[in-house]
Amino acid sequence: MTAGDGGQMTVVLDADGIARLWWAPGVKITGDLAREAVAALVGVCNGERKPMLVDMQGTGTLTRDARVVFAQPSSASRIALLGKSAVDRVIANFALGVSPVPVPTRFFTSEVAAVAWLREGDHARGG
Amino acid sequence: MPEAGDDPRLEALVDFVVRLAAGDLGARLEPRGDADSIEAVVVGLNMLAEELEVLYAGLEQHVAERTVQLEHAQAELQRQALQDPLTGLPNRTLFGDRITHALACAERGARPPVVLMLDLDGFKLINDRLGHAGGDMVLVEVGRRLLAVARKTDTVARFGGDEFAVLITDATPADGLRIAERALAELRLPQSVGHHVISPGASIGVCIGSPGQTADSLLQDADTAMYLGKAAGRNRIQVFQPAMRAAALARVRIADELETALVTDQLTVFYQPFVELSTGRVVGAEALVRWQHPERGLVLPGEFIRIAEETGVIVQVGRVVAAEAIRQLADWQAERVLPEAFRLHVNASPVEFRGSGFVSYIQDTLRRCRVPASRLAMEITETGLMGDEAEIRETLQELRSLGIGLALDDFGTGYSSISYLRQLPVDAIKIDQSLVRGIDTDVQQRNLVAAIVQLVDAVGLQPIAEGVETAAQAAQLRSLACAQGQGYHFSPPLPADEMGTFLRAQLAQSDRQRADTIFK
Repeated sequence: MTAGDGGQMTVVLDADGIARLWWAPGVKITGDLAREAVAALVGVCNGERKPMLVDMQGTGTLTRDARVVFAQPSSASRIALLGKSAVDRVIANFALGVSPVPVPTRFFTSEVAAVAWLREGDHARGG
Repeated sequence: MPEAGDDPRLEALVDFVVRLAAGDLGARLEPRGDADSIEAVVVGLNMLAEELEVLYAGLEQHVAERTVQLEHAQAELQRQALQDPLTGLPNRTLFGDRITHALACAERGARPPVVLMLDLDGFKLINDRLGHAGGDMVLVEVGRRLLAVARKTDTVARFGGDEFAVLITDATPADGLRIAERALAELRLPQSVGHHVISPGASIGVCIGSPGQTADSLLQDADTAMYLGKAAGRNRIQVFQPAMRAAALARVRIADELETALVTDQLTVFYQPFVELSTGRVVGAEALVRWQHPERGLVLPGEFIRIAEETGVIVQVGRVVAAEAIRQLADWQAERVLPEAFRLHVNASPVEFRGSGFVSYIQDTLRRCRVPASRLAMEITETGLMGDEAEIRETLQELRSLGIGLALDDFGTGYSSISYLRQLPVDAIKIDQSLVRGIDTDVQQRNLVAAIVQLVDAVGLQPIAEGVETAAQAAQLRSLACAQGQGYHFSPPLPADEMGTFLRAQLAQSDRQRADTIFK
């Protein structure tokens, strides 16, 4: 299942039950865009709580409003933020540090490690 | 990728940091979309600046809100500190400030202020009748009426209790007096409280400010005038005169010294006998307090009883006198010098009657001294009984039920009717000396006393004439069938030992008369 806003993001629920969110390169993640992403996630997860992988490689910036949106409870049971560059790391850590996220959240530079961590948590929940 | 030191973005980054450091938290550096470390710093600084901007805005809003709250709290505290909570009128502190300001204006050419001090007459009685809630309603209405008579530029204050003050600024003495008169008239108008209608009178002291006065001295002088006005009779306006200061100081001194007198046994009791007019036999005596002052010698009660009543010390004075009189009665009883129907009269103030424990104190003292209650009578003045207080009537009933006699003192100085007398639980009426004084020279006075004696007799009470000073007065009273008399003609007030001698002499004389009768 996929959802998106017409180019700025893509949301899918993969065969492993992980919700995946890709941001378009260079996108500025605003509060409105963040709310759309959360709504799309709720949609693909059918209201169930799922582990979520957010691929933020190449995102331009993350506004404060957007961080506030991500800090609210959502459909995610845990969140892995995936990035590569120094910019990704800075943005990810702002998301993690400035506004505490209500579910376990970590930054990864390896998709394999990120997925493993999400599954580990999913198993622990009995998923 | 160029070396960091050569990267042109660094220059822009430095400018950006400088702007942020200068407090421009709205500054941003547009990212170029690179993914390197310099771009990460740019993105990070942008985000930090945004964060700080939001935090600062929140902080400023919070500070603004707290400042408003603190200002409100401070205004409220100031209001509470300067305002009487019951009436909402300025209190003594604010009133003092306003006087100071008015005096300062007077120094710059304005007319000096006039201060009115106002105390309700008989407010305790109002509180007793209406309860404290009713009393509070009266006070609020008094404040409202005073505001109605004062000018907009004047200040009406409540100092607590039933004490109010009015500051009339830039005023002539006539302005002050006019407002005082209007206040007095306004307060006399009936006021409904629940089912009661009352007309609270007041005593007003007026002080006209003069150069060099302070707020305190102006208030003090107005208070002195008010006080003396009240003492001279209620419902009146008294303008302050400098000579009043000495009188006020003397009062304060007497009040202080009286406290000392009580603990150093300076109060002593004298006894003035009264006799059966038809036989000349002693039938009782009145215990009269005297103050053996260490410097001023023997001080008569006229100089200190009213002050004692006003300061409440009368309760202790009354107990000292009653205890000493009963103890003396016990001595004479043991010595067997008391005539059969002898009663010792002790004066009591309505203030004592209102306080708790008066009856039990008398009862305990009688029991401890083994003196029968029938040997004792309490005297209360006619004016003291006015006001018809339930508490006083109850005390009278309790005393009477114990067998203690009750006499109405100074009859003829108040406005009691005979029908009113019949309702009182008293058994003797003491006809005031002002009525007795001209009885031997003035026919009308004699007729008046004759009528009083007949009426008192008719309602079954015992008439006792006070202030009998001559044989002619005694003869007239005897001819009017007045039962008993008291006064210098029979004996002045005597110290206890001389009264004992008097009683022994009376006893010896009765014995001789009895012997003469037997051996005749």
